[in-house]
Amino acid sequence: MKNKKNFERFLTGSLFLFLSLNGFTQPDSLISRVRLSSNLLISYNSSLIYPGIRIGIELPVYSINLTKKANDGRNKSIIKDRFISLNSGWYHHPGFHDNLYFNAEWTMRRTYKERLFNDYSIGAGYSKTFLGGTTYTADKNGTVKIIKSAGYNYALIIAGAGFGFDFSKSRGIPLSVFGKFDILTMFPYNSTIYIRPIIEAGLIYRPESFLQILTKRRFRNK
Amino acid sequence: MKRLFLIIILVILSMTSCQKEKITLSQNVSETFYVENRGASMRVLVEGNTSSNIFIVFVHGGPGVGSFVYNSDYLSKNIEDKYAIVYWDERNSGASQGNSNGMFLTLEQMTDDLKRVIQVLKFRYGQSSEVFIMGHSFGGLLTTSFMTDGNNQDMVQGWIFADGSQNYPLNDTLTRQMLLAEGQQQIASDKNRAEWQEIVAYCNAHSGNFSLEESNQLMKYAAEAETYLDEVTKVNYLELLWNDAVKFNWPLTSMLMNYLYSSEASFNKELAKTGFSASLKKITLPVLILFGQYDFVCPKGLGYDLFNRISSADKKIVISPVSGHNIMFQDEVLFCREINEFIELYR
Repeated sequence: MKNKKNFERFLTGSLFLFLSLNGFTQPDSLISRVRLSSNLLISYNSSLIYPGIRIGIELPVYSINLTKKANDGRNKSIIKDRFISLNSGWYHHPGFHDNLYFNAEWTMRRTYKERLFNDYSIGAGYSKTFLGGTTYTADKNGTVKIIKSAGYNYALIIAGAGFGFDFSKSRGIPLSVFGKFDILTMFPYNSTIYIRPIIEAGLIYRPESFLQILTKRRFRNK
Repeated sequence: MKRLFLIIILVILSMTSCQKEKITLSQNVSETFYVENRGASMRVLVEGNTSSNIFIVFVHGGPGVGSFVYNSDYLSKNIEDKYAIVYWDERNSGASQGNSNGMFLTLEQMTDDLKRVIQVLKFRYGQSSEVFIMGHSFGGLLTTSFMTDGNNQDMVQGWIFADGSQNYPLNDTLTRQMLLAEGQQQIASDKNRAEWQEIVAYCNAHSGNFSLEESNQLMKYAAEAETYLDEVTKVNYLELLWNDAVKFNWPLTSMLMNYLYSSEASFNKELAKTGFSASLKKITLPVLILFGQYDFVCPKGLGYDLFNRISSADKKIVISPVSGHNIMFQDEVLFCREINEFIELYR
């Protein structure tokens, strides 16, 4: 009986403490809907020595401007952006295949001090390969024919992580440079999967008003 | 967006227009083409002297290893200067590509694939082209299947059998016997005692009628065994990978995934029971048999079995005293010399 009473007191106390703490740390938060411009992206992507290119468009979905008080009293700004990006990529592997692919990605980007950023992305899409040589087929009678544009269609999943530098606020140039490491997987590839590591180096162009999309933007102070 | 669409269309068109047929008859050729058959597009690399009109088709081991590894500088300088070597990636191997094609991964299908590859070779380089086939390891089983099937012998001038296997159950029995005999000798000489004791114990515990798992374990010990012997030429496969992967545009992840898939594929269970000893008498073509003295994976006893059973009047068996399972790397001089002599005799 005594234990039950103590337990009830403990629960009530904990709840009060939780609510009051939560109340003290409740950030100032302002949510608005603004028209944000989409970004254009171009990159050189390679797997070791094999060249490739990716072009894409980043459609803004969500943006959080977070301002934190640092230990030295100054304000620290972090911008968290979420994009849906639509990309088209291609690489050339001599003697093996050329691969043309299209994919949609969910990109999460975090920009520090309005300059440095890192991002993570995951996406899915479609790939069409073109074999790296003339492709023949022979029938039972030995008649040989050439198959034009021989290759395969694959489903594709791509995931990556990268970092970059945004010149738009610091230098007033609407450009960012970035480097990224991606893992591209295609399937069903010979009844298994094909994995290709990709290293990217590219540019993101941030025009002021290009394909503006109504985006949820939130300002928070901690 | 319209411009973007236009660019994409132009890229597609330019890539498809790149697929021109390139057939060269000269002394120093390197060209890749693909042969499509039942769900697989198999890479074929032709290197060397195509103007000789003589083509040696390398049928690789594994299954699933791919043919990239065989393309050494030594072979380029000592065989490809005279004849063309055809490096064929079997289905689900190396750079061969496809979608869901695992159900076609059978020895019968691969035998048919080899036939199609030779048909395409003759289409590309002329019906008068002379074709020799060289089977290594699992390629030995595949070429035996090809040679004993229908009139396939009419398509080729000769057969080179290098560290191959024409009978998997016999292979397991001979591997076990060789591991036991060599193991006991090595233990008595106190060389790599712990390793050999483990091998000998396993062989004593598994005396025959081997399951696929037992067969795989024997092969694992067989591959290790030759590395314990000082007499065997050591090959630095990492160096080979380092030197050749970029030079020859190896699609490393494709090679790896294909190998992992093929080596675990269900058709290995069938292979473990497959043997062609009874049908070897059908073979009448010239045959060159090359084996390493210390090949535990495919012991030289298989070579003698083949030699004794084929009906060929022209046949030769050569045993390298310094080689294990990869005679083309471990005794390159003997390998190239014997192949060159064989081809000059029977071309």
